[in-house]
Amino acid sequence: MEIPPANITQTESPGAENRTASLAEGIALGMALGPESRLLPEMLGEELWRVAGAEQVDLSKAEFAEALETIGARDNYGLDPGKRANERQREMFWRALHLEELAIARGCALGREAAWRRFLAQYREQLTRAAVEMTGSAALGEELASALYSELFGLTEREGRRWSPLLRYSGRGSLMGWLRAILAQRRVNQYRKLGRETELGEIEPAAAVSEQIEPEQLEDLRVALKMTLSEASAEERFLLSAYYLDQHTLHEMSRVLRVHEATISRKLKRATERLRKQLLRTLRARGQSRRAAEEALGTDPRDVDINLRRLLQKSEGDPISSQEGEG
Amino acid sequence: MNRNFQPGIHPDADQLSVFVEGAATAREQERMLAHLAECAECRKAVFLMQPHEETQRATPTPVKGWVWRRLVPIGLPAAALACGLIAVLIYIRPHGGAPGTPQQIASVRQPEIERPGTTAKSERAPSTDSEQVAQSGRRQNSFAPTATATNLSRQENPIASGLNLPALKNKEATANVAPQTTVAAPSASAPTADAALAQSAISSATISDLPLNGRNVANLQQLEPADTKGAASQNSLARKKELPGLEIERASGKDETFAGVSGRITDRSGAIIAGVSVTLRDAAGKARQTTTGADGSFHLTELPAGQYELTATASGFKTSKQSIELKPSELAMLRPMLDVGTASEQLTVEAASGAVSVQTESANLDNGLVVAQLPTVSRVIAVPSGLPVAETVAHGKRFLSLDNAGNLFLSRNEGKKWKKIKPQWVGKAVRIELSPASTSEAPPKPKNETSGAASEGAAVFLLTTEAGSVWTSKDGAHWRQQ
Repeated sequence: MEIPPANITQTESPGAENRTASLAEGIALGMALGPESRLLPEMLGEELWRVAGAEQVDLSKAEFAEALETIGARDNYGLDPGKRANERQREMFWRALHLEELAIARGCALGREAAWRRFLAQYREQLTRAAVEMTGSAALGEELASALYSELFGLTEREGRRWSPLLRYSGRGSLMGWLRAILAQRRVNQYRKLGRETELGEIEPAAAVSEQIEPEQLEDLRVALKMTLSEASAEERFLLSAYYLDQHTLHEMSRVLRVHEATISRKLKRATERLRKQLLRTLRARGQSRRAAEEALGTDPRDVDINLRRLLQKSEGDPISSQEGEG
Repeated sequence: MNRNFQPGIHPDADQLSVFVEGAATAREQERMLAHLAECAECRKAVFLMQPHEETQRATPTPVKGWVWRRLVPIGLPAAALACGLIAVLIYIRPHGGAPGTPQQIASVRQPEIERPGTTAKSERAPSTDSEQVAQSGRRQNSFAPTATATNLSRQENPIASGLNLPALKNKEATANVAPQTTVAAPSASAPTADAALAQSAISSATISDLPLNGRNVANLQQLEPADTKGAASQNSLARKKELPGLEIERASGKDETFAGVSGRITDRSGAIIAGVSVTLRDAAGKARQTTTGADGSFHLTELPAGQYELTATASGFKTSKQSIELKPSELAMLRPMLDVGTASEQLTVEAASGAVSVQTESANLDNGLVVAQLPTVSRVIAVPSGLPVAETVAHGKRFLSLDNAGNLFLSRNEGKKWKKIKPQWVGKAVRIELSPASTSEAPPKPKNETSGAASEGAAVFLLTTEAGSVWTSKDGAHWRQQ
């Protein structure tokens, strides 16, 4: 793979070494810059570099520009795939990033002392607190936080090179939000390792009992449900899963989706109503009488729930690692 | 999103945090939801990510209940005693019985009872007056910005503010808001010739505005012995409706010594602006900087309490500055607005020891236009859904507002009363605007405009749904697909 020439002229000599190093890193990570990468105008690059306070974390202009371009290329400047961003869209994308936090994250990933000092001062305590919150125990939380911390510090090696997950931080969300996300993923992985799969929701073996009752009707119901659910929107399916499978409260769901609790309640109600109507229609289309169809729905709600779980829960899931979703 | 979520592959932390913080694009959001619907692990992670908030709120309630329970044994006899006293008084008065003592009691007690009432009134009077001034100023002002929201010429602003300036002055003088109120007349001065600023098309600065009136009200409210501990959510909800622009909530963080600022930056039409650089500078000149996300919001946390100056800059917009005061463990919610244009103004309002000082400064423009704009008081419209308003357009007295969840609300009396419009379209409404036909006509008369007048002629309001279909309406209540 050819190393593209850096788009910023070598005016500052101290940054030159760093740049080659960071380019090499980028390529090692499979994030080599294509020919369309020379998109950040020098003027804008310098302005953003200044705004981000990248100098305070020992990040050269070229390194910061490279980070911006990598992120832009990876997320296609927030546009749908296939679309090409124009200059204005690119500028808007870059300006919307959490630049200061991005600079800290990049600085840390590249092992800059100043960046680590700032990271420690700003995030260490919050990180531990968040971990304690998530685990519900001080000891477990601190263990989780320090494990993540050493990972962030780059103690793991990838292809013979120190690698920190902080390189994956794009600056589109806040750094603290990103840290919380990583913590949550690690926590979910812990559940897995501890073999506490039940907490993640396991299929109950009650299905066998219900199938004894009316196997044909249930088969109909299952097919109908499958059809109906495939037509539901992603949001509806998410709401149904979170509410009925995970038993989250409306309040929790409203916080995740950042809408009012009442909205969630309404949406959920609408989704279940629609589901029910659609199911009745499908069942009747499959030859059941209206009464039989209603009975099939009304007999035992737990049957429906079991089917839902099966239908909604397609992915058995691999453990969440820091590697997936790359590229 | 060009990074696809495949069934087996989980989104990475970056994607999760972008989703949770609401910075995801519509497509990303859709894909993430689709993945979450199927993946229990990621769903769990997403819910785990939410910071706890209930733990803090839950604690005061048991204390309250405990106090209440302890008061019950004392309270019941006390209540019985009070009832007895009232009964005796009622019995004595009509009989006119013992002439001496009861009348004396009455005459002595009356001033005692009334005084707190009157003092409370006199204390409150300035604040309500100032609110009225603010509101009337805002109401007048709000015509200029909202009616010109769809980009009318900038020259209207000086006219509008020119009209407002004497009016506001007079009212302030008569209302006696505070003895040291000074309104400095706008003085022309050359814009700062900062090369870098000129490069990024930001030629000057505006200091507006909004939280100041609201802020004072907030301080007054805090002086009142309201229960600030319990029912924090109720309090903040109540304040949300009362305070224009600035909303103060107790920070959800556990840190009691730090404060935070968060907000959303919009332009006059209520449209959010992403990529605005927001700088917070403390008295010592130390600055913290962030940029607004795709939803126009920004957050700055872990700030020591004190006086700050908040600056918002975006290319193509006037720089907006405002000073805010942060108290420990407060989370100040701001909604600054950016103006298209190049005027330079300054306004500082400090709520120190009750005195209000207002300074206004304005600068000459490159194109030779002198804009003597008053600090515009933004109007935060509270719609019945309680959700933040995404967009508002106005035509005459009719205001049409769209909240974050896509609900549409119509007001026929400048936002005093709102009515929810039942959507006839499928999906969420994402954008509302005035139709070009209505804005090219003469601007609607600000007064005496009957609701019937709007229904004549061409469609006034345009609405775009998330599916991209466009609906039009003459009166905001009845919609037709285009």
